[in-house]
Amino acid sequence: MITTDAFSSFGRRLAATKGFPYVVIAETPNPIRQLDEQSLNQRALAMIDTVVFGLTQPPAAIERSIRDTAMQQIHPKGVVRAAKPV
Amino acid sequence: MAQPSISLENTSVADLMLDAYEGAYEQGWTDGLPIIPATAAAVNRFVAESGHEAAEVVAVLPPRRGEATVEVIAVNAVMAGCRPEYMPVIIAAVEAIADRNYPLEFIQVTTNPMTPFFLVNGPVRQHLDINYGAGCLGPGWRANATIGRAVRLILQNVGGALPGVYSKSSFGSPLRYAFICGENEEENPWTPFHVDRGFKKSDSTITAFKASNYCNISGGEGVGPEEILRQIATNMPPMYGGGDGVLLLLGVNHARSLHEAGLAKKDLQQKLWEFARVPEDHFAADFVVMERAAGRGDGRMLYRTQSPEHIHIVVAGGPGPQDVYIAGGRPQTRLIGR
Repeated sequence: MITTDAFSSFGRRLAATKGFPYVVIAETPNPIRQLDEQSLNQRALAMIDTVVFGLTQPPAAIERSIRDTAMQQIHPKGVVRAAKPV
Repeated sequence: MAQPSISLENTSVADLMLDAYEGAYEQGWTDGLPIIPATAAAVNRFVAESGHEAAEVVAVLPPRRGEATVEVIAVNAVMAGCRPEYMPVIIAAVEAIADRNYPLEFIQVTTNPMTPFFLVNGPVRQHLDINYGAGCLGPGWRANATIGRAVRLILQNVGGALPGVYSKSSFGSPLRYAFICGENEEENPWTPFHVDRGFKKSDSTITAFKASNYCNISGGEGVGPEEILRQIATNMPPMYGGGDGVLLLLGVNHARSLHEAGLAKKDLQQKLWEFARVPEDHFAADFVVMERAAGRGDGRMLYRTQSPEHIHIVVAGGPGPQDVYIAGGRPQTRLIGR
Protein backbone atom coordinates (compact mmCIF):
# COMPACT_ATOMS: atom_id res chain seq x y z
CA MET A 1 0.00 0.00 0.00
CA ILE A 2 1.21 3.47 -0.85
CA THR A 3 -0.20 6.28 1.27
CA THR A 4 0.55 9.67 2.66
CA ASP A 5 1.44 9.51 6.34
CA ALA A 6 -1.87 11.05 7.43
CA PHE A 7 -3.62 7.95 6.20
CA SER A 8 -1.20 5.14 7.07
CA SER A 9 -2.97 3.95 10.21
CA PHE A 10 -6.33 4.35 8.57
CA GLY A 11 -5.14 2.46 5.50
CA ARG A 12 -3.89 -0.41 7.61
CA ARG A 13 -7.16 -0.49 9.54
CA LEU A 14 -9.13 -0.72 6.34
CA ALA A 15 -6.76 -3.32 4.89
CA ALA A 16 -7.31 -5.36 8.05
CA THR A 17 -11.05 -5.37 7.42
CA LYS A 18 -10.31 -6.96 4.06
CA GLY A 19 -8.08 -9.59 5.66
CA PHE A 20 -4.66 -7.96 5.12
CA PRO A 21 -3.49 -6.55 8.48
CA TYR A 22 0.22 -6.96 7.67
CA VAL A 23 0.23 -5.13 4.36
CA VAL A 24 3.50 -3.30 3.83
CA ILE A 25 2.87 0.44 3.71
CA ALA A 26 5.17 2.80 1.85
CA GLU A 27 4.36 6.25 3.13
CA THR A 28 5.28 9.82 2.22
CA PRO A 29 4.54 13.07 4.05
CA ASN A 30 1.08 14.56 3.51
CA PRO A 31 -0.03 16.45 1.40
CA ILE A 32 1.09 15.64 -2.13
CA ARG A 33 -1.52 17.23 -4.35
CA GLN A 34 0.56 20.38 -4.74
CA LEU A 35 3.74 18.59 -5.87
CA ASP A 36 5.14 18.95 -9.37
CA GLU A 37 6.31 15.97 -11.43
CA GLN A 38 9.92 16.19 -10.31
CA SER A 39 8.96 16.32 -6.65
CA LEU A 40 6.61 13.39 -7.06
CA ASN A 41 9.40 11.38 -8.66
CA GLN A 42 11.66 12.12 -5.69
CA ARG A 43 8.95 11.01 -3.30
CA ALA A 44 8.43 7.82 -5.30
CA LEU A 45 12.17 7.04 -5.33
CA ALA A 46 12.28 7.43 -1.56
CA MET A 47 9.54 4.80 -1.19
CA ILE A 48 10.83 2.30 -3.73
CA ASP A 49 12.87 0.23 -1.26
CA THR A 50 9.81 -0.30 0.93
CA VAL A 51 7.77 -1.35 -2.06
CA VAL A 52 10.47 -3.84 -3.12
CA PHE A 53 10.58 -5.21 0.43
CA GLY A 54 6.85 -5.74 0.43
CA LEU A 55 6.87 -7.47 -2.92
CA THR A 56 9.86 -9.76 -2.36
CA GLN A 57 9.83 -10.84 1.28
CA PRO A 58 7.91 -13.92 2.43
CA PRO A 59 4.67 -13.07 4.26
CA ALA A 60 5.90 -14.65 7.50
CA ALA A 61 8.97 -12.41 7.54
CA ILE A 62 6.85 -9.34 6.86
CA GLU A 63 4.45 -10.25 9.65
CA ARG A 64 7.31 -10.73 12.12
CA SER A 65 8.86 -7.37 11.27
CA ILE A 66 5.73 -5.23 11.52
CA ARG A 67 3.36 -7.20 13.76
CA ASP A 68 3.50 -5.00 16.86
CA THR A 69 3.29 -1.76 14.89
CA ALA A 70 0.40 -3.11 12.85
CA MET A 71 -1.58 -4.21 15.90
CA GLN A 72 -1.15 -0.83 17.57
CA GLN A 73 -2.31 0.91 14.39
CA ILE A 74 -5.34 -1.34 13.95
CA HIS A 75 -6.51 -1.39 17.59
CA PRO A 76 -4.88 1.51 19.43
CA LYS A 77 -4.98 0.68 23.12
CA GLY A 78 -7.77 2.50 24.90
CA VAL A 79 -8.97 4.44 21.85
CA VAL A 80 -12.69 4.19 21.10
CA ARG A 81 -13.03 7.64 19.54
CA ALA A 82 -10.54 10.41 18.67
CA ALA A 83 -11.10 14.09 17.94
CA LYS A 84 -7.68 14.09 16.30
CA PRO A 85 -7.88 11.18 13.85
CA VAL A 86 -5.84 8.17 14.88
CA MET B 1 -23.47 -15.23 20.08
CA ALA B 2 -22.57 -13.64 23.42
CA GLN B 3 -22.40 -9.86 23.24
CA PRO B 4 -19.83 -7.80 25.16
CA SER B 5 -21.42 -6.61 28.37
CA ILE B 6 -20.76 -4.64 31.51
CA SER B 7 -21.91 -5.81 34.95
CA LEU B 8 -23.12 -3.04 37.22
CA GLU B 9 -24.22 -2.92 40.81
CA ASN B 10 -25.77 -0.06 42.67
CA THR B 11 -28.38 0.43 45.36
CA SER B 12 -30.12 3.22 43.44
CA VAL B 13 -31.88 2.80 40.08
CA ALA B 14 -31.03 6.37 39.13
CA ASP B 15 -27.35 5.82 39.91
CA LEU B 16 -27.43 2.52 38.03
CA MET B 17 -28.73 4.32 34.94
CA LEU B 18 -25.91 6.86 35.23
CA ASP B 19 -23.37 4.06 35.65
CA ALA B 20 -24.76 2.38 32.54
CA TYR B 21 -24.34 5.60 30.56
CA GLU B 22 -20.80 6.14 31.82
CA GLY B 23 -19.85 2.54 31.17
CA ALA B 24 -21.27 2.49 27.65
CA TYR B 25 -19.60 5.81 26.83
CA GLU B 26 -16.24 4.50 28.01
CA GLN B 27 -16.65 1.52 25.73
CA GLY B 28 -17.49 3.75 22.73
CA TRP B 29 -21.00 2.33 22.40
CA THR B 30 -22.94 5.60 22.43
CA ASP B 31 -23.36 8.63 20.18
CA GLY B 32 -22.44 10.75 23.17
CA LEU B 33 -25.99 10.84 24.53
CA PRO B 34 -27.34 8.68 27.39
CA ILE B 35 -28.52 5.18 26.52
CA ILE B 36 -31.11 2.80 27.87
CA PRO B 37 -29.30 -0.27 29.27
CA ALA B 38 -29.79 -3.19 26.90
CA THR B 39 -30.61 -5.86 29.44
CA ALA B 40 -31.17 -9.42 28.27
CA ALA B 41 -34.89 -9.17 29.05
CA ALA B 42 -35.30 -5.99 27.00
CA VAL B 43 -33.35 -7.40 24.06
CA ASN B 44 -35.46 -10.57 24.09
CA ARG B 45 -38.66 -8.48 23.95
CA PHE B 46 -37.34 -6.59 20.95
CA VAL B 47 -36.27 -9.77 19.15
CA ALA B 48 -39.70 -11.28 19.76
CA GLU B 49 -41.38 -8.21 18.27
CA SER B 50 -39.20 -8.37 15.16
CA GLY B 51 -40.68 -11.59 13.84
CA HIS B 52 -37.19 -12.94 13.17
CA GLU B 53 -34.77 -15.30 14.93
CA ALA B 54 -32.14 -13.63 17.11
CA ALA B 55 -29.19 -15.14 15.23
CA GLU B 56 -30.42 -14.18 11.77
CA VAL B 57 -27.81 -12.03 10.03
CA VAL B 58 -29.54 -9.04 8.46
CA ALA B 59 -26.37 -7.49 7.04
CA VAL B 60 -22.59 -7.31 7.31
CA LEU B 61 -21.66 -3.66 7.74
CA PRO B 62 -18.48 -1.97 6.56
CA PRO B 63 -15.80 -1.09 7.24
CA ARG B 64 -15.48 -3.25 10.34
CA ARG B 65 -17.57 -6.03 8.69
CA GLY B 66 -19.53 -6.58 11.86
CA GLU B 67 -22.57 -8.84 11.63
CA ALA B 68 -25.83 -7.01 12.23
CA THR B 69 -27.87 -9.91 13.58
CA VAL B 70 -31.41 -9.35 14.77
CA GLU B 71 -30.13 -9.59 18.34
CA VAL B 72 -27.43 -6.96 17.73
CA ILE B 73 -29.97 -4.69 16.09
CA ALA B 74 -32.21 -5.17 19.10
CA VAL B 75 -29.39 -4.23 21.49
CA ASN B 76 -28.80 -0.97 19.67
CA ALA B 77 -32.54 -0.28 19.37
CA VAL B 78 -32.96 -0.68 23.14
CA MET B 79 -29.99 1.63 23.77
CA ALA B 80 -31.43 4.21 21.39
CA GLY B 81 -34.71 4.35 23.31
CA CYS B 82 -36.89 2.63 20.70
CA ARG B 83 -40.13 0.79 21.33
CA PRO B 84 -40.07 -2.95 20.44
CA GLU B 85 -42.55 -2.41 17.62
CA TYR B 86 -39.98 -0.26 15.77
CA MET B 87 -37.84 -3.35 15.05
CA PRO B 88 -39.26 -4.15 11.57
CA VAL B 89 -38.55 -0.57 10.48
CA ILE B 90 -34.98 -0.67 11.79
CA ILE B 91 -34.33 -4.06 10.20
CA ALA B 92 -35.61 -2.80 6.84
CA ALA B 93 -33.44 0.32 7.19
CA VAL B 94 -30.33 -1.80 7.80
CA GLU B 95 -31.19 -3.97 4.79
CA ALA B 96 -31.52 -0.85 2.64
CA ILE B 97 -28.14 0.64 3.57
CA ALA B 98 -26.44 -2.73 3.20
CA ASP B 99 -27.54 -3.03 -0.43
CA ARG B 100 -24.46 -3.34 -2.62
CA ASN B 101 -25.67 -0.40 -4.71
CA TYR B 102 -25.72 1.86 -1.65
CA PRO B 103 -22.33 3.48 -0.95
CA LEU B 104 -22.25 2.62 2.76
CA GLU B 105 -18.53 1.94 3.09
CA PHE B 106 -17.74 5.27 1.50
CA ILE B 107 -20.21 7.05 3.81
CA GLN B 108 -18.69 5.33 6.86
CA VAL B 109 -15.07 6.35 6.25
CA THR B 110 -15.01 9.55 4.18
CA THR B 111 -13.90 12.98 5.38
CA ASN B 112 -17.24 14.28 4.04
CA PRO B 113 -20.12 14.41 6.58
CA MET B 114 -22.55 12.47 4.38
CA THR B 115 -25.01 10.20 6.15
CA PRO B 116 -28.09 8.08 5.40
CA PHE B 117 -31.42 9.87 5.23
CA PHE B 118 -34.50 7.68 5.67
CA LEU B 119 -37.94 8.27 4.20
CA VAL B 120 -40.86 6.22 5.51
CA ASN B 121 -44.00 5.58 3.47
CA GLY B 122 -47.25 3.75 4.03
CA PRO B 123 -49.53 2.88 6.95
CA VAL B 124 -46.61 2.24 9.31
CA ARG B 125 -46.35 6.00 9.76
CA GLN B 126 -49.66 6.06 11.62
CA HIS B 127 -49.14 2.72 13.36
CA LEU B 128 -45.86 3.85 14.92
CA ASP B 129 -46.55 7.60 15.04
CA ILE B 130 -43.70 8.48 12.68
CA ASN B 131 -43.93 12.21 12.08
CA TYR B 132 -44.42 13.37 8.50
CA GLY B 133 -46.04 16.72 9.19
CA ALA B 134 -45.04 19.83 11.09
CA GLY B 135 -41.60 19.47 12.63
CA CYS B 136 -40.99 16.10 11.00
CA LEU B 137 -37.22 16.58 10.77
CA GLY B 138 -36.78 18.05 14.22
CA PRO B 139 -36.88 16.92 17.82
CA GLY B 140 -40.00 15.89 19.74
CA TRP B 141 -41.14 12.63 18.13
CA ARG B 142 -39.95 9.43 19.71
CA ALA B 143 -40.22 7.23 16.61
CA ASN B 144 -38.29 9.64 14.38
CA ALA B 145 -35.64 10.36 16.99
CA THR B 146 -35.00 6.81 18.16
CA ILE B 147 -35.29 4.88 14.88
CA GLY B 148 -32.77 7.24 13.31
CA ARG B 149 -30.60 7.00 16.40
CA ALA B 150 -30.75 3.20 16.45
CA VAL B 151 -29.39 3.07 12.91
CA ARG B 152 -26.58 5.48 13.85
CA LEU B 153 -25.61 3.29 16.81
CA ILE B 154 -25.63 0.24 14.53
CA LEU B 155 -23.42 2.01 11.99
CA GLN B 156 -21.03 2.86 14.80
CA ASN B 157 -21.09 -0.26 16.94
CA VAL B 158 -21.44 -2.85 14.19
CA GLY B 159 -20.00 -1.06 11.17
CA GLY B 160 -17.25 0.57 13.18
CA ALA B 161 -17.80 4.22 12.19
CA LEU B 162 -16.07 5.53 15.29
CA PRO B 163 -15.17 9.22 14.95
CA GLY B 164 -11.48 9.70 14.30
CA VAL B 165 -10.79 5.95 14.18
CA TYR B 166 -12.55 4.45 11.14
CA SER B 167 -14.68 7.49 10.34
CA LYS B 168 -12.44 10.29 9.10
CA SER B 169 -15.27 12.79 8.81
CA SER B 170 -13.63 16.16 9.42
CA PHE B 171 -16.65 17.75 11.08
CA GLY B 172 -19.20 14.99 11.44
CA SER B 173 -22.75 16.34 11.24
CA PRO B 174 -25.78 16.89 13.47
CA LEU B 175 -27.65 14.93 10.82
CA ARG B 176 -25.75 11.86 11.95
CA TYR B 177 -27.76 11.65 15.18
CA ALA B 178 -31.02 10.90 13.36
CA PHE B 179 -32.12 11.92 9.87
CA ILE B 180 -35.53 10.47 9.08
CA CYS B 181 -39.13 11.44 8.44
CA GLY B 182 -42.27 10.13 6.87
CA GLU B 183 -43.76 11.39 3.62
CA ASN B 184 -46.88 13.50 4.02
CA GLU B 185 -48.89 11.28 1.69
CA GLU B 186 -52.17 12.75 2.97
CA GLU B 187 -51.30 16.20 1.62
CA ASN B 188 -49.39 14.95 -1.43
CA PRO B 189 -51.51 15.78 -4.50
CA TRP B 190 -49.49 13.36 -6.62
CA THR B 191 -48.45 9.73 -6.05
CA PRO B 192 -46.39 8.89 -2.95
CA PHE B 193 -42.70 8.23 -3.40
CA HIS B 194 -42.92 4.48 -2.78
CA VAL B 195 -45.67 4.11 -5.36
CA ASP B 196 -43.39 5.80 -7.91
CA ARG B 197 -40.84 3.11 -7.05
CA GLY B 198 -43.27 0.31 -7.82
CA PHE B 199 -44.82 -0.43 -4.44
CA LYS B 200 -48.51 -0.42 -3.55
CA LYS B 201 -49.93 2.52 -1.63
CA SER B 202 -50.88 0.10 1.13
CA ASP B 203 -47.27 -1.12 1.46
CA SER B 204 -45.10 0.27 4.23
CA THR B 205 -41.58 1.00 3.06
CA ILE B 206 -38.39 2.72 4.11
CA THR B 207 -36.02 4.32 1.60
CA ALA B 208 -32.40 5.12 2.38
CA PHE B 209 -30.75 8.00 0.53
CA LYS B 210 -27.10 9.00 0.61
CA ALA B 211 -27.47 12.51 2.01
CA SER B 212 -24.74 15.14 1.92
CA ASN B 213 -26.52 18.15 3.40
CA TYR B 214 -29.70 19.75 4.67
CA CYS B 215 -30.91 23.09 3.34
CA ASN B 216 -34.21 24.75 4.20
CA ILE B 217 -35.62 26.92 1.41
CA SER B 218 -37.95 29.71 2.46
CA GLY B 219 -40.18 31.90 0.38
CA GLY B 220 -42.01 31.69 -2.92
CA GLU B 221 -45.47 32.27 -1.48
CA GLY B 222 -48.17 33.38 -3.91
CA VAL B 223 -45.78 34.14 -6.74
CA GLY B 224 -46.69 31.47 -9.27
CA PRO B 225 -45.19 28.10 -10.13
CA GLU B 226 -42.25 29.37 -12.16
CA GLU B 227 -41.04 31.61 -9.35
CA ILE B 228 -41.53 28.89 -6.74
CA LEU B 229 -39.39 26.50 -8.77
CA ARG B 230 -36.73 29.13 -9.50
CA GLN B 231 -36.54 29.92 -5.79
CA ILE B 232 -36.00 26.24 -5.07
CA ALA B 233 -33.52 25.74 -7.91
CA THR B 234 -31.29 28.62 -6.87
CA ASN B 235 -30.83 26.95 -3.48
CA MET B 236 -29.58 23.68 -4.92
CA PRO B 237 -26.41 24.48 -6.87
CA PRO B 238 -23.89 21.88 -8.06
CA MET B 239 -21.85 20.74 -5.08
CA TYR B 240 -18.88 18.53 -4.36
CA GLY B 241 -20.00 15.13 -3.02
CA GLY B 242 -23.66 15.76 -3.81
CA GLY B 243 -23.79 14.91 -7.48
CA ASP B 244 -25.63 11.62 -7.01
CA GLY B 245 -28.96 13.38 -6.93
CA VAL B 246 -31.37 15.72 -5.27
CA LEU B 247 -34.07 14.91 -2.78
CA LEU B 248 -36.59 17.72 -2.54
CA LEU B 249 -38.94 17.60 0.43
CA LEU B 250 -41.60 19.85 -1.05
CA GLY B 251 -43.65 21.69 1.55
CA VAL B 252 -47.41 21.20 1.45
CA ASN B 253 -48.15 24.83 0.46
CA HIS B 254 -45.93 24.66 -2.60
CA ALA B 255 -47.11 21.15 -3.47
CA ARG B 256 -50.70 22.38 -3.56
CA SER B 257 -49.81 25.50 -5.60
CA LEU B 258 -47.77 23.59 -8.15
CA HIS B 259 -50.44 20.90 -8.51
CA GLU B 260 -53.18 23.50 -8.93
CA ALA B 261 -51.07 25.08 -11.70
CA GLY B 262 -51.39 21.79 -13.55
CA LEU B 263 -47.83 20.53 -13.01
CA ALA B 264 -47.08 16.83 -12.62
CA LYS B 265 -44.04 15.52 -10.71
CA LYS B 266 -42.12 14.96 -13.94
CA ASP B 267 -42.77 18.58 -14.88
CA LEU B 268 -41.24 19.69 -11.57
CA GLN B 269 -38.23 17.44 -12.19
CA GLN B 270 -37.72 18.83 -15.70
CA LYS B 271 -38.08 22.49 -14.69
CA LEU B 272 -35.83 22.16 -11.64
CA TRP B 273 -33.22 20.40 -13.75
CA GLU B 274 -33.29 23.30 -16.25
CA PHE B 275 -33.36 26.07 -13.63
CA ALA B 276 -30.64 24.62 -11.37
CA ARG B 277 -27.80 25.31 -13.78
CA VAL B 278 -24.87 27.58 -13.04
CA PRO B 279 -22.25 28.96 -15.48
CA GLU B 280 -19.02 26.98 -15.37
CA ASP B 281 -16.87 30.04 -14.77
CA HIS B 282 -18.55 30.38 -11.38
CA PHE B 283 -16.70 27.31 -10.12
CA ALA B 284 -13.14 26.09 -9.48
CA ALA B 285 -11.59 24.53 -12.58
CA ASP B 286 -11.00 21.12 -10.94
CA PHE B 287 -14.65 20.90 -9.96
CA VAL B 288 -15.78 21.73 -13.49
CA VAL B 289 -13.59 18.97 -14.93
CA MET B 290 -15.01 16.48 -12.44
CA GLU B 291 -18.63 17.46 -13.05
CA ARG B 292 -18.24 17.38 -16.83
CA ALA B 293 -16.67 13.92 -16.60
CA ALA B 294 -19.72 12.81 -14.57
CA GLY B 295 -22.08 14.03 -17.30
CA ARG B 296 -23.26 17.10 -15.39
CA GLY B 297 -22.09 19.85 -17.72
CA ASP B 298 -22.27 20.94 -21.35
CA GLY B 299 -19.15 23.06 -21.66
CA ARG B 300 -20.96 26.23 -20.70
CA MET B 301 -23.18 25.36 -17.75
CA LEU B 302 -22.91 22.87 -14.92
CA TYR B 303 -26.04 20.88 -14.16
CA ARG B 304 -27.18 19.91 -10.68
CA THR B 305 -27.87 16.32 -11.73
CA GLN B 306 -27.20 14.18 -14.76
CA SER B 307 -30.89 14.01 -15.64
CA PRO B 308 -34.30 15.13 -14.32
CA GLU B 309 -34.90 11.58 -13.03
CA HIS B 310 -32.17 12.09 -10.43
CA ILE B 311 -34.28 14.80 -8.78
CA HIS B 312 -36.57 12.98 -6.34
CA ILE B 313 -39.75 14.77 -5.25
CA VAL B 314 -41.38 13.97 -1.90
CA VAL B 315 -44.06 15.95 -0.02
CA ALA B 316 -43.44 16.43 3.70
CA GLY B 317 -43.73 18.83 6.57
CA GLY B 318 -46.39 21.17 7.85
CA PRO B 319 -48.02 24.34 6.49
CA GLY B 320 -45.80 27.21 5.45
CA PRO B 321 -43.76 28.45 2.48
CA GLN B 322 -40.87 26.08 3.23
CA ASP B 323 -39.16 23.25 1.40
CA VAL B 324 -36.10 21.21 2.23
CA TYR B 325 -33.39 20.41 -0.25
CA ILE B 326 -31.15 17.45 0.52
CA ALA B 327 -28.22 16.59 -1.71
CA GLY B 328 -29.52 13.04 -1.73
CA GLY B 329 -29.30 10.17 -4.14
CA ARG B 330 -28.78 6.42 -4.60
CA PRO B 331 -32.16 5.55 -3.03
CA GLN B 332 -32.70 1.98 -1.80
CA THR B 333 -36.23 1.02 -0.79
CA ARG B 334 -37.26 -1.94 1.36
CA LEU B 335 -40.61 -3.28 2.47
CA ILE B 336 -41.16 -3.07 6.19
CA GLY B 337 -42.20 -6.22 7.97
CA ARG B 338 -42.07 -8.63 5.02
